[in-house]
Amino acid sequence: MREVAIIGVGSTVMGKFPEMLPYELGAKAARAAIQDAGIPPKDLQFAYCANLYGGMVIGQAVLGEIGITDIELTNIENACTGGATAIRKAWWDIASGLYDIGIAVGVESITTSYMAGKLITPAKGDITGVLGMNMVARFALSQRRYMDMFDVSLEQIAKVSVKNHHNGCMNPYSQYKKELTIEEIINSRPICEPITLLQCCPSTDGAAAAVLVPLDLAAKYTSQPVTIAASVLKSGDYSFHWEDMTFSDMTFKCANSAYEMAGLGPEDVDVCELHDAFAVNELQHYVELGFCRRGEEVGLLEDGATALGGKIPVNTSGGLLSKGHPVSASGVAQIAELVWQLRGQAGDRQVANARVGLAHVIGGEVTGLESGAVAVHVLKT
Amino acid sequence: MKNRVPFREGLFEETSGKGSLIGARCRQCGQIIFPRREACLNCLGQDLEPVRLSRNGKLYAYTIVHMPSEHFEPPYAIGWIELPEGIRIFSQIRDWQERHLKIGMDMKLCFEKLWDEEDKEIIGYVFRPSMNGGGI
Repeated sequence: MREVAIIGVGSTVMGKFPEMLPYELGAKAARAAIQDAGIPPKDLQFAYCANLYGGMVIGQAVLGEIGITDIELTNIENACTGGATAIRKAWWDIASGLYDIGIAVGVESITTSYMAGKLITPAKGDITGVLGMNMVARFALSQRRYMDMFDVSLEQIAKVSVKNHHNGCMNPYSQYKKELTIEEIINSRPICEPITLLQCCPSTDGAAAAVLVPLDLAAKYTSQPVTIAASVLKSGDYSFHWEDMTFSDMTFKCANSAYEMAGLGPEDVDVCELHDAFAVNELQHYVELGFCRRGEEVGLLEDGATALGGKIPVNTSGGLLSKGHPVSASGVAQIAELVWQLRGQAGDRQVANARVGLAHVIGGEVTGLESGAVAVHVLKT
Repeated sequence: MKNRVPFREGLFEETSGKGSLIGARCRQCGQIIFPRREACLNCLGQDLEPVRLSRNGKLYAYTIVHMPSEHFEPPYAIGWIELPEGIRIFSQIRDWQERHLKIGMDMKLCFEKLWDEEDKEIIGYVFRPSMNGGGI
């Protein structure tokens, strides 16, 4: 198996772009990644394009805009994990020796889709969906139990959103560049109690892309290759195996596999982008990703360990809460942020001497499973 | 009178508001699953017996939803109810405005109209706090 490096990344600014069709967003990000890699577009031998709400063969529309046709191109749907799945598949196509250069793109345009203004729900006919489940409720249920069983306050959970919105102010790609206060967050309108609007990621349009090559060819393109030290993707397990809804077994198992593959541990991670679709998620994922023991996660946040300048800065991009959550693009956008961090190109939000980065996404709701899919990638310089 | 129609076939037996959820027990590994399947989801054993699930459980988690869904106008309550069999059932929760919801409280199964569809009343299972209370 060959080691794989990322030699170029690109992203659109995240936001609401009703005037831009999904393929235009995707093309913008793909073009930026190809320019960053410094390659002629025609060099690309394969592509993956992740998307949930854009319709038929969107990858062909995206790459057709920028002169890339007649290659192996696979479109991917894996809910919030779609972008990470595209990275994972591109990683394997190169690691296995099948191809030498390829691109992973994630793109989402909620505003131009039939989902505009709606809460994301399970697929049509799904039993919990029919009975009133949506993605906010899914995590509100966990948050209610988490707060009541572990004596965590709404103020403490809101501090995640305060931190990530602060980081977002320093990210030119962030949907929101606005500081928030704890009071604003907990007094914003309730969506699914106890989750209020400003504990939620926004609805986001955007795209991101990454160009991958074997590490031994990377020097030809860049002096700063970023290696993919681990790539793990898992589907959800049955919820009757899921003992505690305040602890994601899927994330825990996936992270452990990723650490094993990378030969690294949570203590080695310098910077992390994790799935903060809702503020509470970030606290719970600290534990599952091994950054602290259970019961220490609020302290980790309140002590500033996960803030910029702390021991393990989390969601320096602003996270899904501030940077935004363009569903299928988020996994790729996290990789772009980590690549910028590991290259020392993250501007005001730069983590000093960042050498190892971890990206985590989880998503998709279906009756009977904990969640649809989870992915963890570990990058290193 | 409107026709009463279950929201999904095969999930429960019900007559005029009284009945049970129907799951299955694997005779090989003992796992209880809901809804029923062709084979056990735990061990893939094919020797399953239908079981009527307990009609009482405890509230594992709940939320009040303030956005509309396909069939329900806000605000409405939903939650996970843990049954003595060790499985959790996702359900609409009723009487949440009259009774203060609390994790661990005793809940009981009822069957009632979930929504109307043309000339039909769509019937499903809901849970509501039982009168004997209970806490964590």
